[in-house]
Amino acid sequence: MSELVKVQVTVNGTRYEHTVEPRMLLVDFIRHELGLTGTHVGCEHGVCGTCTILLDGKPVRSCLLFAPQANGHEIRTIEGLGTMDNLHPIQEAFREAHGLQCGFCTPGVIMSVLPFVEQNANPTEEEVREALDGNLCRCTGYQNIVQAVQLASEMVASRKAEAR
Amino acid sequence: MKLEGDYLFNGPREEVWAMVRDPEVLASCLPGTQSLKQISPNEYEGGIYVRIGPVSGSFAGRLTVSNEVPPESCTLTVEGKGAAGFAKGVGNVFLEAQAPDKTLLKYTGEFNIGGKLAAIGQRLIESVGKSMINKGFETLDKTLQARMAGKTPN
Amino acid sequence: MAGKYLGQRLKRNEDPRLLTGQALFVDDVQLPGMLHAAFLRSDYAHAWIKSIDPSAARQHPGVVAVYTAADLGKIWKPGPLNVPPPSGIPGVVFNQRTQVPMAKDKVRHQGEAVAVVIAESRYIAEDAAAEIVVDYEPLEAVIDLEKALGEGSPLLYEDLGTNLASFVHQENGSYAEAAARADLIVKTHIVMERGTAAALENRGYVASWDNKSQSLTMWATTQGPIALRNGLATILGLSEHQIRVIAPFVGGGFGPKILLYQPEEIVVSWASLQLGRPVKWIEDRQENFGDTSQERRQIHEAEMALTRDGKILGVKDVFIHDTGAYNSYALTIPLNTQTHTTGPYKVANYLTEYRVVFTNRILVTPLRGAGRTYGTFVMERLMDKAAKRLGMDRTEIRRMNMIQPDEFPYKTGIVGQDFAKNVLDSGNYPAALDKAKEMIGYEAFLKEEQPRLRAEGKHVGLGISFFTEGSGVGPYEGARITVEASGKVNLSTGVGTQGQGHFTSFAQVAAEQLGVDPKNIFVTTGDTEAFHWGAGTFASRGATVAGSAVNAAALLVRQKILKMASKILEAPEEELELADGMVRVADIPSRCISLAELAVKANPSRGAVEPGTEPGLEATAYFGPPYGATAYGCCAMIVEVDPDTFNARIQRLVMAHDCGTVLNPMILEGQIHGGVGLGLGNSFFEKLEMDDNGQLQNASFMDYLIPRASDLPPIEIAHLHTPSPLNPLGIKGVGEAGAIPIPPAFVQAVEDALPEYNLEISEAPLSPNRLFQIVQAAKQA
Repeated sequence: MSELVKVQVTVNGTRYEHTVEPRMLLVDFIRHELGLTGTHVGCEHGVCGTCTILLDGKPVRSCLLFAPQANGHEIRTIEGLGTMDNLHPIQEAFREAHGLQCGFCTPGVIMSVLPFVEQNANPTEEEVREALDGNLCRCTGYQNIVQAVQLASEMVASRKAEAR
Repeated sequence: MKLEGDYLFNGPREEVWAMVRDPEVLASCLPGTQSLKQISPNEYEGGIYVRIGPVSGSFAGRLTVSNEVPPESCTLTVEGKGAAGFAKGVGNVFLEAQAPDKTLLKYTGEFNIGGKLAAIGQRLIESVGKSMINKGFETLDKTLQARMAGKTPN
Repeated sequence: MAGKYLGQRLKRNEDPRLLTGQALFVDDVQLPGMLHAAFLRSDYAHAWIKSIDPSAARQHPGVVAVYTAADLGKIWKPGPLNVPPPSGIPGVVFNQRTQVPMAKDKVRHQGEAVAVVIAESRYIAEDAAAEIVVDYEPLEAVIDLEKALGEGSPLLYEDLGTNLASFVHQENGSYAEAAARADLIVKTHIVMERGTAAALENRGYVASWDNKSQSLTMWATTQGPIALRNGLATILGLSEHQIRVIAPFVGGGFGPKILLYQPEEIVVSWASLQLGRPVKWIEDRQENFGDTSQERRQIHEAEMALTRDGKILGVKDVFIHDTGAYNSYALTIPLNTQTHTTGPYKVANYLTEYRVVFTNRILVTPLRGAGRTYGTFVMERLMDKAAKRLGMDRTEIRRMNMIQPDEFPYKTGIVGQDFAKNVLDSGNYPAALDKAKEMIGYEAFLKEEQPRLRAEGKHVGLGISFFTEGSGVGPYEGARITVEASGKVNLSTGVGTQGQGHFTSFAQVAAEQLGVDPKNIFVTTGDTEAFHWGAGTFASRGATVAGSAVNAAALLVRQKILKMASKILEAPEEELELADGMVRVADIPSRCISLAELAVKANPSRGAVEPGTEPGLEATAYFGPPYGATAYGCCAMIVEVDPDTFNARIQRLVMAHDCGTVLNPMILEGQIHGGVGLGLGNSFFEKLEMDDNGQLQNASFMDYLIPRASDLPPIEIAHLHTPSPLNPLGIKGVGEAGAIPIPPAFVQAVEDALPEYNLEISEAPLSPNRLFQIVQAAKQA
């Protein structure tokens, strides 16, 4: 076993410092070291998108990074959006449009498309499907996910407009 | 899976043959070879480290030389296994003198792999295998040049 | 029969938990002192195990134990059958060979477990597993289904003397007689290949033995928690009440998670008992490709006898079914094939016969569609061929052979997966066909649009396919409903949930009877401590069977409520109504009492109650149908094939579908969408590539392609509503519907898109590559 290393990250606004094996995957660090189990693991080789988180605002696969590679960076996970009583618009949109069934891929889908939703007020179906192409879902046939993302884009845009 | 190809060496057939049959030379030429020990006139045992896409690991194996017709042809049988799977291959090697200092090596073989190596490395194995063989031949050719250069003064 | 809650498009109760990362999945279970398991699996498909040396792994720092089959003692034995072979069919051959916890003398498929390491972390466990030395003597692998039955084939089970696992022959009427008087006989040779369920959540188990309470808690990604609990009790020598199995949120099931007594279930729970510590095993994706059951490999020789005007006289279908290395799930899949082949059509003379073959591949158990898919593919292909030969419209030949609405219940005489002779309960098949044709614009497309597109050089075709879906089979399910002192309602049932929305649809059923907002109904599924009778979630039966049990329990609670309230409000029961969590006199709404108050009164803390009174507003009820309800539908699609790349793009896809009474249309549509997604995968992308040595060539999502968002079309759905007479709500199942008609519609559309080659495609899945080969062969012919 190799020497342990210190990993310092900010996750959903909270600072954490843990000492781990350098080979620990970032997703295992988030799930098992920090106990944030909303981020899931589907394939461990970067294809299914289930483990997607935001690293410094950009969607990344947390199964393809080692925890020390996130040292000093800012992470956002599904737990950093809304709460059960006060859902984030994108979460609300997924509920409204029935964009989830078993819900296992859902956190990864949401974190993958969150920046897209924030930047596109009125995306076409084709644009949404393209934005979703890095995430696999086996339950929904994607149809209602596409609708949820379109609805989320509208909801986020209208909240922004209200805030102005 | 079938493997076949050829390589043109810059040296006489006898010299190429001698090198192919020299375990130390072979060990130094095959990329990733960790050890190669002769255990009988026609058998060698050794270890090799292979990396194919996302799969990597050490393989312990045995190389057997049969049907030997010096300096023309022989059959090589390779068997290896490790944590990443197993491999078994049988290949025929032919040496053809094209000129006094040009020897064409031709090989044809069947290669079977299993385990992780097959499951994940499948689409890369052919190209990796070929590239390993070619790298090996290039190194062998360089060694051959060096040997011959050392011999010329005699 | 839409009501205030039933049949409404209500948002799901479970979503807030799932959407915020607060839902518990098995891998989220973290317990103090928990150990982690990693299995060493065979690289060989078929080999003798000469020796296993775990000594180096045992010395590895952080390793707590290493076990092989030899260490399991009397726990090691082939597991019980999940499903028995059918009774009621004469001459059935069934050679039982069930899964073992770990391979002992022989490995029979790549990925079979041979040893397990239990360590302080998964990382350590995997490192140590790589240090176990197994000496194998490789054997020739049995992969090809036809060769497997041939003379001189290597055998999976030497003692059996054959690779034949099973033989079943059923005939209704006489096919020979029908063929003798037929004007036309069309024949086909159909090959369907294996795919995998690929639920996004892999399998996983956490077992925790508590020595002080002498009890085992097991979190499991199972579709059948109660059966798992009962089976584990027998295997481990415990009382059923010492074991609690919890199937928490499960990330997709699709079939393989109904398989019980899987090696890891037994080994992980046994290891926890040995070590007195919690043990977790989570399957990784690569393992999943080699150790989780699969489906969809059959070879059919089929023929159909017709009159010259297109009436079917008889069908004969002889097929081989691949069961893999074991047959723990007996014959559910090929029996489904037998009952679904004739589908919606009247076939007076039907001969169906199959051989099940052991091969050196992971065992086969139901996967969404479960045998229905192949039967439908075979029949629809025969229909297409007959239509072509007779110069008939493909929808006309279908319509004229359909069972008519006034002919139900319709008996086919063939025994199905529930061991009952198949009866189609109700429906209006021609209406679904018409609806699908109308939605896709059948006539206009063929007469106007397609010729115009062809003139532009485009290769666009239409495919249309009909199907039936036997669903909602017995034996039974149950539910318990309690009105709590808070007025909130607690509802428990034995089926597990893998995304079907049971937390909402069951709440809707109960809400309708109790007049309570579904948001105030707390549903528990898949926890044996909450409810411990039931079979599980499979065969599209959750809504139908468990939903009917929920309805029955809710009715009983409703009766208790009315009886009590009638006395308190001094009004006859008929004049009372339940709404908004209250009971009130219908025409004097001010005379009312809340369910909360009633619940308190029903559970007095002091004083005397009338003799025979049961405490509480609670009831338990069970429901078991006499036989399964048959849903059905018609799918049509328009496909464009790129003549250079042979990639096929689905431009439109419509589905006219009837599953009787709808509990929640939003959830229903979602089920169809998902089924269609899988069906399209099975049509075009998803094939497990296996070489002759039993080595899987594409065991990752890099190489095994499941459909992505941009691969799938928008799906247009229309509902028809023919209630089933088999349950009070009139429900039929829908879970597998989407997957069934897609492959035949897809290949028909591809043929229609490439008329110049006169293709007769008799296989699924295709791929661009495979389609290219088929076209090349057609060009040369």
